[in-house]
Amino acid sequence: MQESTFNELSDLALRLSGQHIAASKAYLLEARLSTISRRENLATLDDLVHCLKARPNPRFEQEVAAALSSKKTSFFEERDLIEKTVTQALPERLKHSKTGRLRVWCAGVSTGQEAWSLAIRLSEEMGSTLARAEIEIVGTDLSTDCIETAKQGIYGHFDVQKGLSIHRLMTNFNRRDNGDWVINEPLHKNVSFRRHNLLDSARDLGAFDIILCCNVLGALAPSAQRQAVETLSAQLLPDAYLFAAPDEALEGISSVIKPSRTLRGAFERDTTIKKTAAA
Amino acid sequence: MKHCLIVDDSRVVRTVAGRIVKDLSFSVSEAADGAQALEHCRKEMPDAILLDWNMPVMNGLDFLRALRREENGSNPIVVFCTNENDSEHIGEAIRAGANEYIMKPFDADIIESKFAEVGLV
Repeated sequence: MQESTFNELSDLALRLSGQHIAASKAYLLEARLSTISRRENLATLDDLVHCLKARPNPRFEQEVAAALSSKKTSFFEERDLIEKTVTQALPERLKHSKTGRLRVWCAGVSTGQEAWSLAIRLSEEMGSTLARAEIEIVGTDLSTDCIETAKQGIYGHFDVQKGLSIHRLMTNFNRRDNGDWVINEPLHKNVSFRRHNLLDSARDLGAFDIILCCNVLGALAPSAQRQAVETLSAQLLPDAYLFAAPDEALEGISSVIKPSRTLRGAFERDTTIKKTAAA
Repeated sequence: MKHCLIVDDSRVVRTVAGRIVKDLSFSVSEAADGAQALEHCRKEMPDAILLDWNMPVMNGLDFLRALRREENGSNPIVVFCTNENDSEHIGEAIRAGANEYIMKPFDADIIESKFAEVGLV
C-alpha cells in the first residue's frame, strides 16, 4: 500500500467517523476493507482509493469509513459494567421514575453483543424490583452491516462461545441447522438497533436513563471524542448515567459531563454550564 | 499451580488443548479415553478436566458419571469439549454433572472464556 493511500484512508476515517488510525495500524486496513475490495473487484487498496476519488459517492465513502472501524466485541465483554447497570444504575433510575419506563442506549454496539448481553442479564431479574420496569434497549453503530447482524441476533459458533456460559446459551438462543445460533424471540421485544454516527446529533433517538459507550471513544481523535461525548451528553436525562469501559477515561474529554454524584464510575450531564451561561 | 487433565482420543487435540491450557498457567496431564482418565483421577484428582465425548473403551459421559460417584469426584470442574453440538447432548452433559461445555472446533479464546465462566481463571 502506498503511503498516499494510507493517508487518504485515514483522512476519510477521521473526517467521516472521527477515527484516528495510527500509521502503526496500517496493516489493519487491508483486512478491514477486504470485503468491500472483493465486492468491488478491486485488487489493492490503492485501487480502492483511486475508485473513491474517481467516482465520489458519499454512501460508498460512509461504507468505507464504517468498515475501517473495529468490530471486535463479545458477549458480556464488559461484564462488571453490565452487572453495575443491572444491580445499581437501573434500580437507582427506577426509584425516581414516575412511569416505570427506562431507556438504555448502547452506543457503538458493533454487532450487538453488548445490547443482547444486557437484555439477557435483565431477563434474569425476574424477582427483583426491575421486573416491574419496562426497559428499552437501543443499540447504535456506524456500520449498517453491523446493525443488520445485531438486528437479526444470529451469531456463529465462535461468537456464542466467548463470554456466554453454556447455561445462558441454552436459555437464550436456539441452534439453527447450519450451526449458527439465534437469539430467542422474547428477548427481541425491548431491544432495537439503528445506524447512528456519534459525530451527528442523536436527538431523534430520544432521551436516555443510561448510556453505555464502551471501547469506542479510545479509537477516536481528541476532537471527535469531545464531539461524541457532547452528542451522548445531550441525550442524557437529568441525573442519568453515562458509562464508558472501565479502562477508558471520560474525565477531561468535555466539560459537558462530570462524575456522577450518586454512582461511582458513572458520569452525568453538567447542567451548571447552561445555567451559568444563561445567568 | 492448578492441574488440568485433558481427555481426548485424538493426540492432536490433546496437544493443541494442552498448549492452550498451559498458557493459562495450568499443569497438564493427558488421557486417551475415559478409563485412563478415571484411573488418573483415582491416583490424583485434578482441579479441571477437559473432556471429549466420543472415545473408545469408555466415553466421556460414562466417565463423568463414574467420576461424580468417586470420593472427591465432585471436586474437579469438568468442561466438555466435543463435536456433539446439539441441545440434547449439551443437556445430557449438564445433567450428568458437567460444569461447562465447549463445542469443537475451539480456539484459545474459547477455552479461556469457558474456564473464566467456571472460575478456573
